[in-house]
Parts: sequence; structure tokens; C-alpha cells
Amino acid sequence: MTTRPRSRADRLFTALLRALPSEFRGDHGREMEQVFRAQHHDVRTGGTAMTMLRLWLETLQDIVATAPREHFAILRQDVGYALRTLRGAPAFSIAAVVTLALGIGATTGLFTILNAFLFRPLPVSRPDELVSVATLDHHIELPHGLSYRDLEDYRQNNAAFSDLIGFEPTGPVLNADGGSERIAVELVTGNYFAVLGVPPALGRVIAPTEGRAAGDAPVMVLAYDYWRVRFAGDPAVIGKSVRVSGHPVTIVGVAAPTFDSTESLLKISAYLPISMSDIIDPPTTSEHSTLEARDQHGMRVLGRLRPGVSLDQARAAMAVKAAALARQYPDTNKDVSLLLVPETSARPEPSTGPWFRVAAGAFTLLAALLLAITSANIANMLLARAAARGREVAIRSAIGARRGRLVRQLLTEGVVLAAIGGGLALPIAWMITGGFVRGVGAFASEIPLRIDLGFDWRVLSAAAAVACASGVLAGLAPALYAFRADTNALLKTGGRTHAASVDRSVVRRTLIVGQVAVSLALLVIGGLFMKSLERARLLDLGFRQDHLLLADTQPAMNGYDGAQRLAFYRRVRGRVAAMPQVQSAAWISTPPFASDLSDAKVFVEGRPPVRVGDAPMSFLVRVSPEYFATATVAIVSGRAFTDRDDATHAQVMIVNQTLARQIWPGEDPIGRRARLAKDGPPVEVVGVVKDGKYIFVWETPRPMIFRPLDQEPPGSATLVVRTAGSPTDAAGEIRGEIRGADPDVLVTGMRSMTSHLDQGNAFIIFRMGAILSGFFGVMGLLLASVGLYGVIAYHVAQREHEIGVRVALGARPADIVRQVLARAVRLATVGAVVGMLLTAPVARLVGPLLLGVSPFDPQTYGSVALVLVAVAVAASLVPALRAVSVDPVECLRAE
Amino acid sequence: MPARDRDIQSFLPLTPAMLHTLLALADGDKHGYAILKEVSRRTAGTVRLGPGTLYALIKRALADGLIVETDDRPDPALDDERRKYYRLAARGRRVAVAEIERLESIVDLAHEKKLRPRTA
Repeated sequence: MTTRPRSRADRLFTALLRALPSEFRGDHGREMEQVFRAQHHDVRTGGTAMTMLRLWLETLQDIVATAPREHFAILRQDVGYALRTLRGAPAFSIAAVVTLALGIGATTGLFTILNAFLFRPLPVSRPDELVSVATLDHHIELPHGLSYRDLEDYRQNNAAFSDLIGFEPTGPVLNADGGSERIAVELVTGNYFAVLGVPPALGRVIAPTEGRAAGDAPVMVLAYDYWRVRFAGDPAVIGKSVRVSGHPVTIVGVAAPTFDSTESLLKISAYLPISMSDIIDPPTTSEHSTLEARDQHGMRVLGRLRPGVSLDQARAAMAVKAAALARQYPDTNKDVSLLLVPETSARPEPSTGPWFRVAAGAFTLLAALLLAITSANIANMLLARAAARGREVAIRSAIGARRGRLVRQLLTEGVVLAAIGGGLALPIAWMITGGFVRGVGAFASEIPLRIDLGFDWRVLSAAAAVACASGVLAGLAPALYAFRADTNALLKTGGRTHAASVDRSVVRRTLIVGQVAVSLALLVIGGLFMKSLERARLLDLGFRQDHLLLADTQPAMNGYDGAQRLAFYRRVRGRVAAMPQVQSAAWISTPPFASDLSDAKVFVEGRPPVRVGDAPMSFLVRVSPEYFATATVAIVSGRAFTDRDDATHAQVMIVNQTLARQIWPGEDPIGRRARLAKDGPPVEVVGVVKDGKYIFVWETPRPMIFRPLDQEPPGSATLVVRTAGSPTDAAGEIRGEIRGADPDVLVTGMRSMTSHLDQGNAFIIFRMGAILSGFFGVMGLLLASVGLYGVIAYHVAQREHEIGVRVALGARPADIVRQVLARAVRLATVGAVVGMLLTAPVARLVGPLLLGVSPFDPQTYGSVALVLVAVAVAASLVPALRAVSVDPVECLRAE
Repeated sequence: MPARDRDIQSFLPLTPAMLHTLLALADGDKHGYAILKEVSRRTAGTVRLGPGTLYALIKRALADGLIVETDDRPDPALDDERRKYYRLAARGRRVAVAEIERLESIVDLAHEKKLRPRTA
């Protein structure tokens, strides 16, 4: 054979050929080089520089056109082959696809939620400069908003912030073009749009000079989406007059399409200046104007840091300002301090921000754990399969398949698996986020929610990354195996045993033990929360929880004044109480375990005046006379309210035992008087009721004041109905009666007391804990049982020969089944023991969140461990039975 | 339609490059470069095959059984022994004929419609 020295042209052409698939190159590469060499030779001997250039250009074009076509052809062939192979091993394929779908789905779902709450920056300019400012004071355990007055003071000469904005969502009724509907509106300070850097898409936005005095700027800016949907994107809407809660307002603009408000949970439809607050939701007699009251902490506040100012510097600067205000206004600001955190840490609002942070941390940890379990499981199954396919790979390799080609093919198989799993994962992720949205939606009933958890590019790319990584991992295991495998040994033994199989089976068993342990930990934690929930349900909350229905209304949002509201409340109560299936009905301004109780200070008459700022703080609700009977709140002494306790008679109140004890220790409080505002009228105590729980089930007894609804009609109230039968059955008719009493007032929320407790502050933490840990625990258990099945099935397949021999020698089927099952039980038991050791420290951590159950409750640990072992037996039953069906004759013949 | 005809029909229409490749092999075995030069010459340079296109065609034609590799060497002394020679298979011949008949029927139709007058 003649060998010619390779010219530079040859080498260049060879380099070009690398664009082609290696298989194609292997089959035809040398010939192609020969052809090119001949072409090149012809042109060089008889052509010009021009024809040489043309040859190169044509060759380049030729290869560039051929390469993708050939790659695609191979890919199609590989995918086809992969699909056939997977169809050939349905048990493995289904297990792997289910594992991947669950793992990727849950991870994607969690990431979507985390993304919506924590990572997605606000759609404004320079969102990282925004800092949430919240009030911390001593009367409620959670950070909350600021008052407008305080905000205005903080804005003056602020060295840390270039400016601060305030906003407060509300849900008025909008009348436009003859239609009316309830919408979510953000009441904003005038500088809101300017500070955020949000331009109008149409018309103008609210100007910084607007909205400084009550009612001064009756203007409205529409959210872009709402403008598109409600007003069909009509530009003529600018200048149109509409009514908000019955008050005329002019639409002046539409906000930029990219801007979706500063809320992370609410879909805001329109923006109004904060000056409209008192107009659309007038304060009751004992409340002060939103623009005036310094102790009405309703505004969420964001500040934009000045360039170069750190969060700590801002904290220090604001602390100085808060202290100055406390000196200046000790009445209202004495104990007030501020909490400054990055905007993303205060979602969905400052009060729940810390809670969400913790929950998010738990979420992330669980997601990581789940992903780890998924990967372990897939690796496990593939290792087992790689060993099983060793023989196939060896044969194909022996008949001349190139190793590169084999690896490419196995990788394709892995990616095909991941693609199918990933495809199925999307609906799972969608279900998880959907469930979450429904959960949160029921939790926050104040304003109808439309939570936007849309998959954005981060979520999609995260899912794709997970899918691809699993695919490569999935393909790599058998591929590496194919490389390492000793072809001869594999052919000889029929792929049954390998020197390395001992190590691998240790790895596999360790993975299974780990999975079982983690599942146990999660299930135990879930069980502990479940038990706490059970205990919490039995707790004495101060009223009877069964057979109660709650219906929320907000007549103030229709622009009703005090007298109109009172008339509405009376009319509704009269109609509902007359229904045959209703035992009694009553109104309460805020039901127990809602998040927005009002508070009051108590100034006691006939007592040396307490130092200003030191007045005892209490929560306050307004109720109609029938409330105590309807909710069965026990009256300890004195009397309940009557219809005579109205505006024309003396101001009265009923207090709970804690308040009576705090203010009149050792005395009979009946007939005593106190003022509920510094300059308010004296209010006489006419009754004392038994203490109850009002915000959290684990709270220490708090003071509570009940006032007659008739003496101070609130803007919104909840109808509490005690029904004879199931409260939810009566819900439709009760809603109908409310509509019959006044078709304009909307029922904004309706639920039984049981679900109110489940979804509200009361039990939410136990439920979330139980649901989350339970969900992950069950997922983990599912995955572990799939893994266990794989390991046992593999074990049986490897021992088929040995089992056959033993059957031939007279072993009974029951013995063989027992032996296989014993193996599974052993693995599960080791996993359970490791799991218990793992659970103890975690359980101690969640201990403070539990109610009436020890973090080491033996019953919970024991029953979960039993379940695990039972599942292990179930998972290994199929392979165990297969072992029995081994035909000894077949086995011996194969020898 | 007999099964064999149906099989042949499934290859039609051929790309010009494939048809010319089959035609180039009609009068004798050739190696890759010879096919390439023959096609270029016969079509006066209108069908130009690069090495990539050519061997993609050969790969497909081999897989479909239209051509086969041959071990016969016209004269080993004259030729590089490493070159592979290709021969038109019976199936390839039938496919080429079917394609030409298909083209003829189109030409006939064009004549009938007086799109192009008959020259002979």
C-alpha cells in the first residue's frame, strides 16, 4: 500500500469531515478523502486560482449541507431504537418514567412557587434597590404596615432612601358602562409610579403632587391587562368617568404592560391615589381617617435606597427617625420600631414574609431531597439495567458496533426517557402549583385572588436542566458499563455475574436504605403535624366550631354610610334567621382567626391617669346581639347585648376574662367604665365572657373587647350562621337570602367555620406541615418502593439459576418467596432504623410548632415504620412470585 | 399493482442527483470519483456532486439495495486497491427505468398540451 504524505489541503478536508457523524465518517471518510484529493489534484494541475477557490467553496457548502441531515438521520434511528427497547422492557420503562415525572414535576412545581415568591424581581426599574419597611410593635407578634402620617415623616430629609412609597390594596365595586363588578385596587401614594419608574402605556400615571388631602384627586390608572380585558383595549377610555364604591372617578391612564403591581399574590386591576381611601371606605366613628391616624398601620411601604447606601446603613438611619417620632408622638409611636428587609423577603406581605422565608427554606430543602431521591433511584434502576444489558452490549460490540455509536445510542435512550418523564412532569407541576394557588386563595379571602404562577423562562430552563441532567445520567450508567465491560467475560457468563457486581450491589442497597430513611423522616414529621392538627381541633377555642357558616360582606365598598350599612345588616340577619334550616344568625366585624383584627387602647375611668402610651392594648370586634348565643360564647357574668344597645342608648361593651383581670383585678367589672380612645366617650362594661383563642391556637390568653354593631357599624362584617344540618348544604340558600336583602352587596367569601379554621391562622401551620411533609413523604415512599422493586427484581434475575437449582433439589416455593421477602424486609428495617435516628433531631427542631404531641411520639414512629415495611413487602411481592415460577428444567438445560 | 412494482414506485420520484448517480453506474462499475466526474460531464456541470452529497447518496443507495459494493477490480495494476467500486443492482436498474418512464410520461404530456413541440 502506498502512503502519500498528507498535504495541507488533505488535512483541512479531514478536519472538515469531523462535522459528520462518526459512523458516517467511519464508513465513507477515507473514500471521501480520496475523492477530494483527486478533485484537488485535477484543479491544481489544470485549473486557475479561481477554480481552486470555487472547489473549496463548493466542498465547504457540500459538507455543511450534508452534516445536519446525516446527524438527524442517526438521531431518528436512535430514537426509534430507544423507543423499541423501552417498549421491550415496560416495567423498567414505566418505573423510570414515573420516577422522573414525579421528581421533575415536584421540583418544577416547587421552583415555580419559590420563583413567584422569592426570586422573580418586581417588574420595575432597578428592583434590587427596593427595601420593605414594616412596623414592629408590642401588640401583635408579626411585622405589619405603616401609617400614612409616619410614612410622610419618614420621607422628609431621608439620607438612606431617595424616596419611599406606600400602597394598600382594597376591593371596591366598580361601575362602568352600566356594568358593576368587584375589583382589586391598589391605593397608592402619589409618588408610587415615579419612584418605581413605571411609565404609562396610555394617558398618564398618578403624579407625585396628587393625593395629599382626602378626596383631592379622584383619578384612576388602569392596569394594562384589566384595560385590555374589561375595556377591550379601547384608547377612548381615557377621560371616562366611572364610579368606584359609588363615587365618581376619572380614568386618566393605563400603566405600562410589563408592570404588574407591587403585590405578589393579588392581581391588581387599577390604581387610585391614597387620598381616595377615606372616600371609598369611610372610617367608622371610632376610627380615624387613613390620612390622619398615626396608629393605623395599614400601608405597605417600599423605599428606594440611595446609591451606595447599604441595608444596614438604612436600618440605622430609619431607627433614628423612628426614635424621633416616638419622642414626638409618644401616644402612638412609643413602642414602634421598624423592620427593614429586601423587598423579596417581605412577600407576599411583611407579616407573612418571615413565615414564608421559613416555609421557602423548608420547600427548598424538601425539593433538593426529592431530587436527590429521584437521582438515586434512577441511578439505581439504571445500574441494575446496565448489568442486565451487559450481554446485549457485549454482543453488539462483538459483532462490530463501534463503542462511540453504542454510547451515543444509550445516551439517546436516557434522554428519551427524561423527555417522556419531563413531558409528564409538566402536568404534575401544574397540579402542584394549582393546589397551592387554591390553598393560598382560600387562605386569603379578603380580595378575590388571581395568582400568577406562570412558568417563566427560569422555571422552564430549570425543568429542562433537570430533565437533561437526568437523561445524561440515565444514559451514562449503561454507557460507562459498556465501555468498562470485558466483552469476553460478559459473553461467557451470559451477563450474570461480574467481579464488580459486589460493589455495585452494596451501592444499590445503600441507596435504598437512604431512600427508606428519608421517607420515614418525612412521614413521621407529617404524622406529628397531623396529630397536632387532631389535637388542635379538640382544643377549646372559646366557641363551638361545628355547624357554623361564615359569609363575608363589605357594604362600605358599595359606598354605603353607617345608617345604610346598619340597615343592610339588620335586613340580612332578619331574612337568614327566618330560614327553617337556620338556628340563629349574627354579625361580627372580624371572625376569630382572621388576620385583620382591629385594636383599641383602654383608658380607665376613676383611676389615676395612666402615663400616655402605657394604656393597655386590646383587640376589639363589633358584634350583633345574637353573636354570643350563635357562636356559643359563654357569658360568665352580666348580660349579652340587646337590640336596645344602639346609638341612641349608652355606649356599652362586653370584655373577656383576661381583660377584666388585667384592668380590674379582684373587682367586679360589671358597671365599670373605660374610654376606648383618649378623648372618646366612656363605655360601660355590661358583661364578661369566657376567654377564647382569637388569632393563633397557641397564643396565651389575650384581652378582647366586644362592642355592639349598632353603636358602631363596621364597613365590612361576617355573618355567622348556626345551621341545623350541614352548614355547607345551606350555603347556597343563605347566599340567596343575602342577595335578596340587597342585590348590590356582594358576598365576598363563604365557608364553614371548620374550613375557616383549617385554612386560616388557626390550623394552617399544622395543615401545611402535614400536607407538605406528607406529600414529600408519600413521594419518597413511592420512589423508594419503585427502587426496592428494582433491586429485588434484579436480585431475583441474578439468582434465577441458583433458584432453579434449588427448586430442582426440592425447595418449597413458600421458602423461596419467604427468602426473597426477607431480603426486602431487611433492607426496609435497616432504612427505618437509620430513618428514626435521622428524624429525632429534625423532630426536635419542629417541636415548637407541634401541639399536644411529643416530637418523639412512639406511636407515630412505630406506625410509620410498620407502613414502610408493609410497602417493602408489597413492592417485592411481584419479583418474589416470579422467582417461584422459575422453571428448573430450563435452568439446568442452560447450564 | 404487483408487490414488486409497488416497492419500486415507493422510491419515486428520484432526486436528479440520485438518478444521475444510478445512470452513471448503468454502463459499468465505478468508484466514487469516477461517478462524480461522469455526472458532472454528462450534465455539462449542472449537477455537481461534492464528496458529502455523493457519499450520502451512496450510503442511502446501498441501504436501499439500489447499488452494491463490488470486489471486482477492472485492472488492479491501473487502480488504487483501496478504492471501493460500486455496481448498479437489479433493483436500482428497475428504479432508474421507472423514474425515466415517469419523466417520459411528463414529457409526453407536455407535448400533448403543445407546451413544447416534438423535435423528431
